[in-house]
Amino acid sequence: MDYSSLLFDRIQSQASAKELSWIESKANGSLQSLQTAFVAAPRFISKEFVQYPEPINGVSFNNWTFDRLVRVYLLSKFNSSDKDSYIKAIDTLFDTAENNEAVALISTLPFLAYPDYWMLRATNAVRSNIGPVFDAIAFQNPFPKNLFSELAWNQMVLKCIFNDKPIHKIEGVLDRANAELAHSISYLAHERWSAGRTIPAYAWRLVINFLNEEILKDIQYLFSSSSVHDRIAATLVCIATDFPGAKEELKKHRDLELKAKTDVFSWEGLEN
Amino acid sequence: MCQKHSEISQNPSHFEGSAEEFKIASTVQANYTDYIKGMKFFDPHIHMTSRTTDDYTALIDAGVVAIIEPAFWLGQPRTGLSSFKDYFSSLVGWERFRSSQFGIKHYCTIGLNSREANNEALAEQVMEILPIFLYKEGVVGVGEIGFDDQTAAEEKYYRLQLELAKEANLPVQVHTPHRDKKRGTELSMSIALEHGIDPGMVIIDHNNEETVESVLEKGFWAAFTIYPFTKMGNERMVEIVKKYGSERIMVNSAADWGISDPLAVPKTAALMKIKGISDEDIRLVTYQNAIDAFAQSGQINAIDFESPMEVDQNLKFNGNTVLRGGQIPRVEKNSIIIS
Repeated sequence: MDYSSLLFDRIQSQASAKELSWIESKANGSLQSLQTAFVAAPRFISKEFVQYPEPINGVSFNNWTFDRLVRVYLLSKFNSSDKDSYIKAIDTLFDTAENNEAVALISTLPFLAYPDYWMLRATNAVRSNIGPVFDAIAFQNPFPKNLFSELAWNQMVLKCIFNDKPIHKIEGVLDRANAELAHSISYLAHERWSAGRTIPAYAWRLVINFLNEEILKDIQYLFSSSSVHDRIAATLVCIATDFPGAKEELKKHRDLELKAKTDVFSWEGLEN
Repeated sequence: MCQKHSEISQNPSHFEGSAEEFKIASTVQANYTDYIKGMKFFDPHIHMTSRTTDDYTALIDAGVVAIIEPAFWLGQPRTGLSSFKDYFSSLVGWERFRSSQFGIKHYCTIGLNSREANNEALAEQVMEILPIFLYKEGVVGVGEIGFDDQTAAEEKYYRLQLELAKEANLPVQVHTPHRDKKRGTELSMSIALEHGIDPGMVIIDHNNEETVESVLEKGFWAAFTIYPFTKMGNERMVEIVKKYGSERIMVNSAADWGISDPLAVPKTAALMKIKGISDEDIRLVTYQNAIDAFAQSGQINAIDFESPMEVDQNLKFNGNTVLRGGQIPRVEKNSIIIS
């Protein structure tokens, strides 16, 4: 699939004549001139938001600035036929990246050749404490869903929960829920509760298929919480799960159950 | 960077003002912020990498809305290229992000500092990676470069970097030496002129009473570092503004890992206010002149910090990573309870 032509179509629909001519003059250059163009892009390209955010290659562009999209396009034009020089050129960009460049590089991972090679870059973005860099791997990016090991995946989701980030924006967040992650969420909640804090209620959606006696106790605790969000999450988990104990628990909270079943409560309402 | 306390007595105040002024200055300092309410400041020289989060909080509380962090040394010489690369990268990466968490816009200048220019083998390698960083967003100049011991190697790399600045059309932030400052300053300026650089693109830093006149006369920007013991005191600074006015003069803290004061700019503004300098002159030397000088890079958009910075929720709370999950962003410094 030639994603660069799709990206170019998207760019064309938004770029000014001046921007377009700059982009066209750079797009078919050597690796080195593309590298320079990638760095220099904000000097020539606006920071308006991308007008048409519909996904390409699983990457959607909500709240992207236009220069970020152009940078992704320029990277997609790097000639990958010689693996060594291709990788070296992009590694150099990573190693010297300013924050906005780092965000663009991480956003480009799903478009790069030799996807396995970029795994450390992807997991390092998860390790990053620079908010926008972390967000670039975690949200609107299919790379983790497609390529992360369960361990790496769980780290990313947990870090989102830990930092109160909107986990519903993670591509594949429901599909890749797993028992180990459910256990870790439970454990994180215990730590937070000991400190008199909470975890975002939406996180409990990820335990639905992995309920056991231990996690059921958490659900019972949520029902007793003073936060209405916690009580809604507990209700929604009990309705969705097959775990028998949860159905028993639900009988104690008919009022909540009714509101959930009539769509007054929903997971969407718990998105943060 | 006060290595020699003997230097203190060698640099006595040249302008001590009247007895009355002295009294005011030494009695009102407790609530100096009362004098600068509503003022905004731009500190064009501060090494935040060496400072704590408390300093960031104090800066924004005092009205400092934007800063420039010049690249310099670490207090000891680096031993390899990667250390330089990681340092430059942190100036446009982690430190820039850290600053944004406190609502302060962070810019930087990138360069090979004079001390480390003396390791020629390493300096050659650093020169190769400088262009990669000079063209990045928010890099507002080549700096801080110039002379320290005034060696041949320092001169060589100063000249080479002036050429880089010329090619990138970037301002130059020039460090002037602690020792033999006057000669070093004159030499820095004459070399810049020799390379055909417009003096309006050059900020001569760490001026004092002995150097200012020549710097202004030749058309360069004159920056003053308010730094305890080794550089300027702010009472002397007030006298300089009284004498030379506010054109092409700017004040900075150069706060780093030495005994320095990150609040030097707002404190100097308060002292100027107390001593009768006009609000407009204060605004020029503690805010606007620095912006005008470094905005010639094309990398400063005043909208980013002119209105009270809208802290992006996505960055500040949800995305908050300087502050860990579930914490509130501010700590009450006087409270014994840490929650």
